[in-house]
Amino acid sequence: MSEILTINNLKVWFHTRRGTFKALNGVNLNLRKGEVLGLAGESGSGKSTLGLSIMALLPSNAIIVRGSKIILKNRDYLKYFELFPEEKIDRKFKIKKNQKIMKHIRDFLAKIRGKEVSMVFQEPMTALNPLLQIGYQITEALLAHSSINLAKRILSRINLTEDDVREILKIVKSSKNVEKDLNEFSKLKKLDGIEDQVLYILNRKDLSTIRKERMIYSLKEKMKNPLTMSYLKKIAENKSIGIYRFLNRIPILKRYLKGVLIKEGYRKAIELLAMLNIPHAEKVVYMYPHELSGGMRQRVSIAIALANNPDIIILDEPTSALDVIVQYQILQLISELKYKLNISFIFISHDLSVLAEVCDRIAIMYGGRIVEIGPIDKIFYESLHPYTKGLLRAIPKISKDIKTIESIPGTVPDMRNPPNGCMFHPRCPYVMDVCRNKVPKSIEYSKDHFVECFLYGE
Amino acid sequence: MANVIIAAYNLKKYFPVGGFLFSSKQTIKAVDDVSIKIKENEVVGLVGETGCGKTTLGKLLIRLIEPTAGEIFFDVPEEIIVEYEEALKNKDTKKIEKISKRYSFLNKKGGELRRMRRYMNIVFQDPYSSLNPRMLVKDIIAEPIISTGYASKKEAEELVFKLLEEVGLTPEFAFRYPHELSGGQRQRVALARGISTLPKFLVLDEPTSALDVSIQAQILNLINEIRKKYSITILFISHNISVVHYMSDRIAVMYAGKIVEEGYKNSIIFDPKHPYSKALISSIPRPEPMREKIIINLQGEIPNLINPPKGCRFHPRCPVAFEECGWTADEVFQDIEYIIMRRYAEQFNGIKRIYIEDDFTISVEYEGKNLIEEKLKEVLNKEKQELRSLISIKNIKSESTKIKIELYKFVEPEMYKSKDGINVRCLLYREKK
Amino acid sequence: MSKNIGLIGRRNYLLKQNPRIEELKISFKIFFTNPTAVAGFVITLLYFIDIILVQFFPSFIGISDPNRYIYNFNNPVPLPPSSSHWCGTTAGGIDLCDAIIKSIRIDLIYSLFIVIVGAIIGLLLGLVSGYLGGIFDEILMRITDIFFSIPYLVLAIAILFVLGVSLENIAFSLIIVWWPLYARYARAQTLSIKQMTFIESAKASGTRDLMIMFKHIVPNVLPPIFVQISLDLGTVVGVFATLAFIGFSPTANIPELGYLTSLGLNYISIAPWSVIIPGLVITVFALAVNLMGDGLRDVIDPKRRSV
Ligand SMILES: Nc1ncnc2c1ncn2[C@@H]1O[C@H](COP(=O)(O)OP(=O)(O)OP(=O)(O)O)[C@@H](O)[C@H]1O
Ligand SMILES: Nc1ncnc2c1ncn2[C@@H]1O[C@H](COP(=O)(O)OP(=O)(O)OP(=O)(O)O)[C@@H](O)[C@H]1O
Ligand code: SF4
Ligand SMILES: [Mg+2]
Ligand SMILES: [Mg+2]
Repeated sequence: MSEILTINNLKVWFHTRRGTFKALNGVNLNLRKGEVLGLAGESGSGKSTLGLSIMALLPSNAIIVRGSKIILKNRDYLKYFELFPEEKIDRKFKIKKNQKIMKHIRDFLAKIRGKEVSMVFQEPMTALNPLLQIGYQITEALLAHSSINLAKRILSRINLTEDDVREILKIVKSSKNVEKDLNEFSKLKKLDGIEDQVLYILNRKDLSTIRKERMIYSLKEKMKNPLTMSYLKKIAENKSIGIYRFLNRIPILKRYLKGVLIKEGYRKAIELLAMLNIPHAEKVVYMYPHELSGGMRQRVSIAIALANNPDIIILDEPTSALDVIVQYQILQLISELKYKLNISFIFISHDLSVLAEVCDRIAIMYGGRIVEIGPIDKIFYESLHPYTKGLLRAIPKISKDIKTIESIPGTVPDMRNPPNGCMFHPRCPYVMDVCRNKVPKSIEYSKDHFVECFLYGE
Repeated sequence: MANVIIAAYNLKKYFPVGGFLFSSKQTIKAVDDVSIKIKENEVVGLVGETGCGKTTLGKLLIRLIEPTAGEIFFDVPEEIIVEYEEALKNKDTKKIEKISKRYSFLNKKGGELRRMRRYMNIVFQDPYSSLNPRMLVKDIIAEPIISTGYASKKEAEELVFKLLEEVGLTPEFAFRYPHELSGGQRQRVALARGISTLPKFLVLDEPTSALDVSIQAQILNLINEIRKKYSITILFISHNISVVHYMSDRIAVMYAGKIVEEGYKNSIIFDPKHPYSKALISSIPRPEPMREKIIINLQGEIPNLINPPKGCRFHPRCPVAFEECGWTADEVFQDIEYIIMRRYAEQFNGIKRIYIEDDFTISVEYEGKNLIEEKLKEVLNKEKQELRSLISIKNIKSESTKIKIELYKFVEPEMYKSKDGINVRCLLYREKK
Repeated sequence: MSKNIGLIGRRNYLLKQNPRIEELKISFKIFFTNPTAVAGFVITLLYFIDIILVQFFPSFIGISDPNRYIYNFNNPVPLPPSSSHWCGTTAGGIDLCDAIIKSIRIDLIYSLFIVIVGAIIGLLLGLVSGYLGGIFDEILMRITDIFFSIPYLVLAIAILFVLGVSLENIAFSLIIVWWPLYARYARAQTLSIKQMTFIESAKASGTRDLMIMFKHIVPNVLPPIFVQISLDLGTVVGVFATLAFIGFSPTANIPELGYLTSLGLNYISIAPWSVIIPGLVITVFALAVNLMGDGLRDVIDPKRRSV
């Protein structure tokens, strides 16, 4: 399996009036293509910070320490920036200069954000703009990166001929691998974008076959006016749209030019929402966030994250505010997306039972470090790190003879001056002398199962 | 036999919707006709999805809000409860009134009510907004002690330190502000406040939902310890069913303002009766990867409580709903319209209009002499599998240019007793006549 | 046993920093790291020092009679600023510097009085109506609506026409104009705090309404009201001076900024400084108080506190 994201020795600190919070203290992590990686840990252990670092969306008081590496698809993007080394971060630390660096990183990664990596934030309420229609919010995300695709979709519908449709239907009826054949077909005929729309119709569960065929027939669209057509072509070919940028400022023309794209965005939004099993998607796109229930809102956030076909989606506690039935639906959706679109997920949660339902691998975080990472069955049935063990014992399990749950005594360390040695040593039942002085190294205990603890290794 | 601490009968809480001046007649039926009885030293868990009225019920029981209708008894002798229930059964209004007048918790007022507050309290979910940010922890904990007149100000001060120790905090926490505490510590303070007057009855409204698993374990064990030590009766509200199962003796499942199932916890968790409980319990996430899952997937959204579904409130989402579960013409109408006008539009050309005739009849008007009736019957029969509402069609009759679709009349489900002592509000468990 | 813990607790408490002082320290830190707020604060402070000096130690700054202007009829036409008259003189040969130093006192003290009395009235009504709701709330809101529908200057002038001309009456009319603003503000704050769960848990523990009001709501409503007061003070000084300027101050020889400005009005074309300088004194104060208020707003903002 290929690795799509590698994080090396990532240190992220927060500079505040009450001291410097060392949120991440050397995180090593890799994410593979098409897997769901669970990230569990106590509140304040740095889970969200890790997600935000990958997205390059850290607040301006954050400091990425020199030596940190975030390698996304073989590109190490932090190496372009002059980061502060650890020893320079003291009382005389230059906040303003750091803020500038952080801003540069944010701007630098704007291209990637949403397109290659996207994130569903911890609070679905705050992530959506209450004043904009759901459809518009999805369209905005699409316009940011995929206007080319939108234009291609429109053009492909216009260029579609009767013969093409017949051929498509033939493929649909007879082909064994519809998806692949449709892709080839659209490439051959220069109808990029049509396969997407056909597949959406085919995947709908609420329609009879006859209706589906009719819908494919009705994909064909009339020619637009010449101005719009040339605008769309320019966008589709990714050419500079110089003059049109100006024309888009004029209200009436805007309706013809950008309006066409926005309308297409709504169309795509409906497809996305329907794919996420939202009933009456064509109505939902015209609604506002407050008109939707929590589960629906969460799905809309996921739709926005999905809009540009990212390779990685980071989900920050996507189900904590939901009740079990809706939660289960979302978990199911994630597994489905993983298989269908081969997307990699980082699933952040402090609830291990939820992670047990979807993840392939689980990373356990404590005090800004990943203390254990491994395949899901290893973590649950052969966990190594004392913290992981404690965490597992703390979950109430449903069984006829109730075992008392055990909590981990003590509290999370103050991240302003975290304990020396192993972060967990003040709370660890097996603490030894080494633990207090030295930071344990990561050890591959069994295949693919790493742990940072002195109890293991030589 | 243990004493009944709190007994509530036919409790209702309807919140008015809309502003003050333009208040419409519409109400949110947050709690509708709920009866619940909690015995001394018992922990009753209350589960259900968001917005089904759990918090509202909890607040009603300790009279933090006034019920629209219903009766509550707090810590009255067993005989009275028995007598009252008998009177209810026989519809003996005179006796009901007499008992209510003398014992009803709802009749307590002013100072008497305030003194009674000593014996009950509530701990809320959100540890961030449930403590006044401008008060010191010691004043927060001492407030109920002083307000209910449980002890004097001076004694309260000493009690605070004892309580802090009880919930596992050091005395120096007394002089901190809430924002200096972590979520778990705040919840400990809230708990200390909750037990500060040694109440007999405590409502815990999702006390650990905002906390981490490991902190949650600490708090749950703390609650258990305190409860045993001071013999406190608890209503434990949560949507985390594993937690409820761990904490409670009995569990009540709530759906859309009604309790739909209630009984001993293991019977409910391992052998749920109500279709909703079945779905709910099947979708609990479990820390056992690769386990075999049989999950009942529920379609549809949470019902709106302004116009809740008729009959059984669960029927629009119920996978086993049958003829009498509560279907009315407007629900069926939407599905029939969808079938005729959308899904099979090409087969039904001559249809002029579909409309609701009365609560249980839908009419379809058509043009010409098409043989629509047969076709309609066939299509509706075919779609029954997917669209459960069509099950409620009793018969389809032709009348000149119109087809009348008649529906079964629905039955309002009551609490039925199943064999293993669970009370279920589902028509499937109705005693066969 | 419990007694011991109490003692330990108290000892720890004494040894450790007092949390209230800790809080105050942070507040100061936030305020004093904000340069514009500090600038505003320093300027405001200068004005208040001026009041104290004029009131208690007039001779210290070389002022002979703090309660009236000193005319110099030998030179009744305004003179431009010079080494003998730093700010120049205005009509009647009054030295502007001297006059301004004296005048600030009346404007500021009256404005403070207006704002504080207005805030107290508004706070009380707003609290009660927000907390009780119902009919009382409805009536209060309609009354404030009426006040808001009339431009405040027009309303103040109308009241002054009825009451007659005097500084006290200007203050009185402005209080009448200003309290609805605070009532609205206090009500909104009360409503938002009333929704917090800690109010509910106070009710659940049998706390009386009055206690809830004073122990829970007032302490949370007061800080934003203080900020509002400091933001308003500048505006009120301006309006007060305006009313005096357009002739609602008694013609008696009372040192007041609006009146002082109006003295120079006849000479505006030949002696613009006689209008501009007193006008500037008012504007600078309004600005300074505003900056300070903005800084205070940051102090009570919990989001900024936690960073
Ligand atoms: N903007 C910020 N300024 C200062 N400190 C911050 C900031 N954001 C996070 N922190 C600190 O960084 C640490 C890690 O926070 P983070 O939000 O990543 O934790 P988390 O694991 O996501 O916790 P949770 O489960 O509560 O969401 C915490 O100690 C927190 O106080
Ligand atoms: N004061 C109120 N005024 C109007 N409607 C209310 C009020 N309080 C609750 N409701 C409504 O009553 C219904 C039940 O609310 P309640 O808070 O009891 O639900 P819950 O089961 O506790 O949900 P959750 O799991 O989200 O806490 C909801 O639809 C809610 O909108
Ligand atoms: S009564 Fe029972 S079967 Fe009928 S809808 Fe309700 S839950 Fe389903
Ligand atoms: Mg987080
Ligand atoms: Mg609730």
